[in-house]
Amino acid sequence: MTEINEQEIAGDFSMYFGPAHPGSGNFSIKVEMRGERVLKATADPGYLHRGFEKLMEYREPMQNAVLSDRVCVLEPLQWNLVHAEAVDYLMDYEVPERAKYIRVILAELSRIQSHFIWYAAMSLGTGFMTGFNIAIGYRDYILDVLNLITGGRVYPAGYICPGGVRKDLPEKAENKILELLPKIEYMRKFALKQNPAWLARFKEIGTLTKEEAIKFGAVGPILRGCGVESDVRRDDPYEIYDELEFDVPVMDEGDAYARFTVGMQEIEESMKIITQSIDRLPKGEVKTPNLKPIVQFQKAEGEIYIRNELSRGEGAFYMVATGQKTPYRVKIRGPSFTHMIPILEHLLTDVAYADVPAIYWSMYQCPADVDR
Amino acid sequence: MSSNSKNISLEEKLIKNLNSKLGVPINFQKERRLWTSIDSDKIVDICTKAYEMGFEHLSTISVTDWLEEGKHELVYHLWSYSYKLLLTIKTKIDRKNPNISSINSIWGANAETCERECHELFGVKFEGNPNLTPLFLEDWEGPPPFLKDFNWREYVKEEMYDQNNPREEVYFEVKK
Amino acid sequence: MKLGIVIEIFKNVFTKPMTVLFPFERIEIPERNRGEHEFNIDTCISCGACARICPNLAIKMIEVPSELREKYPKTYPQVDLGKCCFCALCEDICPKGSIKLTTNFYFATFDKDDTILYPVKAE
Repeated sequence: MTEINEQEIAGDFSMYFGPAHPGSGNFSIKVEMRGERVLKATADPGYLHRGFEKLMEYREPMQNAVLSDRVCVLEPLQWNLVHAEAVDYLMDYEVPERAKYIRVILAELSRIQSHFIWYAAMSLGTGFMTGFNIAIGYRDYILDVLNLITGGRVYPAGYICPGGVRKDLPEKAENKILELLPKIEYMRKFALKQNPAWLARFKEIGTLTKEEAIKFGAVGPILRGCGVESDVRRDDPYEIYDELEFDVPVMDEGDAYARFTVGMQEIEESMKIITQSIDRLPKGEVKTPNLKPIVQFQKAEGEIYIRNELSRGEGAFYMVATGQKTPYRVKIRGPSFTHMIPILEHLLTDVAYADVPAIYWSMYQCPADVDR
Repeated sequence: MSSNSKNISLEEKLIKNLNSKLGVPINFQKERRLWTSIDSDKIVDICTKAYEMGFEHLSTISVTDWLEEGKHELVYHLWSYSYKLLLTIKTKIDRKNPNISSINSIWGANAETCERECHELFGVKFEGNPNLTPLFLEDWEGPPPFLKDFNWREYVKEEMYDQNNPREEVYFEVKK
Repeated sequence: MKLGIVIEIFKNVFTKPMTVLFPFERIEIPERNRGEHEFNIDTCISCGACARICPNLAIKMIEVPSELREKYPKTYPQVDLGKCCFCALCEDICPKGSIKLTTNFYFATFDKDDTILYPVKAE
């Protein structure tokens, strides 16, 4: 690595990548350049800081369920699930079996549409507009089904609430979900096509070794792309994941292409999970019987750290209740937090500027859960 | 059922093992969740030992502000890829003098970033962390905003409230 | 490989596009869609539960205009759509089903005051 002496050479300068760049999200990186090389990058988050952790201390659990969608735009249902599980533990709610299955089906649908967005963002970042349009179009089919079930296309507004889910599945929703699967499979194959331009942009770019990945706290597809077989759904099972059969795809290369391929292979596993859960979907209640319309932590005391496998990796809620109406302290661990600050800064040292978008989008960024 | 009981006995063994190696009492919360409470000056020592034992993944660092007690509680969540267990290390520091040593010798930039966040939002100082610059808040001059005694209603009313907009009034009425 | 692309192109020529021509055709909006509120003042019992649960404080219990006060003496919810997050918690908690979220989501307006939904419209 070269030392940066300020303005020693005419070609030395620093500039911002983002936040107004299309697709970079509300996030920017200050890059220090020498000619075409990036010498050092400094992440600059905070454009989307909404103070959720503080805000949740002033709201009751049911209202927080609505708020928890907003942690990340791309995977609101899964954040709903993490929050609901934390409250379930603290309030001792026994979640009915049917609700657990519905939760899992929706979380996996949410994971698939989030992976489509990943493909869309990577295409957009590298100038492949066709890929972007197709992925967003196919994501819309999933959003239609989510709208049918939860009542909102993107935000379910606390559909997965403490103690179960807010409403049972509507009629024929199972068929609608099963009709989606061939479309998802088509899109997945499209994304995995061996495109020479795609390979040239992403192969052997932004390589992360196994040791570095663990030390920097990488999670999810980023970690599995480096050859570590770790999935919260399998290692720390929640809901009904321990009863379902699915594989954990792993690749050893650790470059941008490996991370992306792992993500696309996960779609297949998610489809397996959806088919299995719909096959076994039991009948019955979807809410725990002792759920009151207004949930308060009046009798609950204690704390819990709930980890879930979101589409980006491990997302967690740390919640402390002290017997007040509202939680005493909430800490949200977004999976992108470690990806976007320490790992991105590490990967963006001494690379060509043309590779910055490829590395940036291969980290599966979501600025919303960095800032919270 | 049998596999479940087998797991629990394995965990009991592991707890004994951890007890002797870390030298602190380990408590069992629920399946795959262990926690321990230690003195703040031993944090680097215990974290190093835990890292060497296989708790390799620093999930997050969180701060709880116990206002009545006059203490900040720092919570370190460590996950082990080999044991598939979460170890929560808790330590309390004085609220008026919130100093603790940084664990960046173990987790490097990852720990530094988590500590930057805690420093910005709670004002906890991490000795040995060279990079405690603000992360989220830009041009913030008020007290650390996540402290329990920070009155955000007053602050917002003084700094950014539009007095001419009656529709905003409802946010400043304190609910019982 | 190359032939596959040709086949795909021909397939796409004869299939319907993913999008619809918006003002003339519209996609079907499901029953559960959370849109504008529909309030039935005659069944409302003025319990205030909707104002209590609203996470964004968008619902306020107000009195009706003076000429209608004889018929509706209590306080009734007024929804500020500018603050509303369309979570439908008010719909879930309402004991009488007086407040409902409809499939209407066309909210664009030129006047800010149009975004407030009054319980009854004064003549």
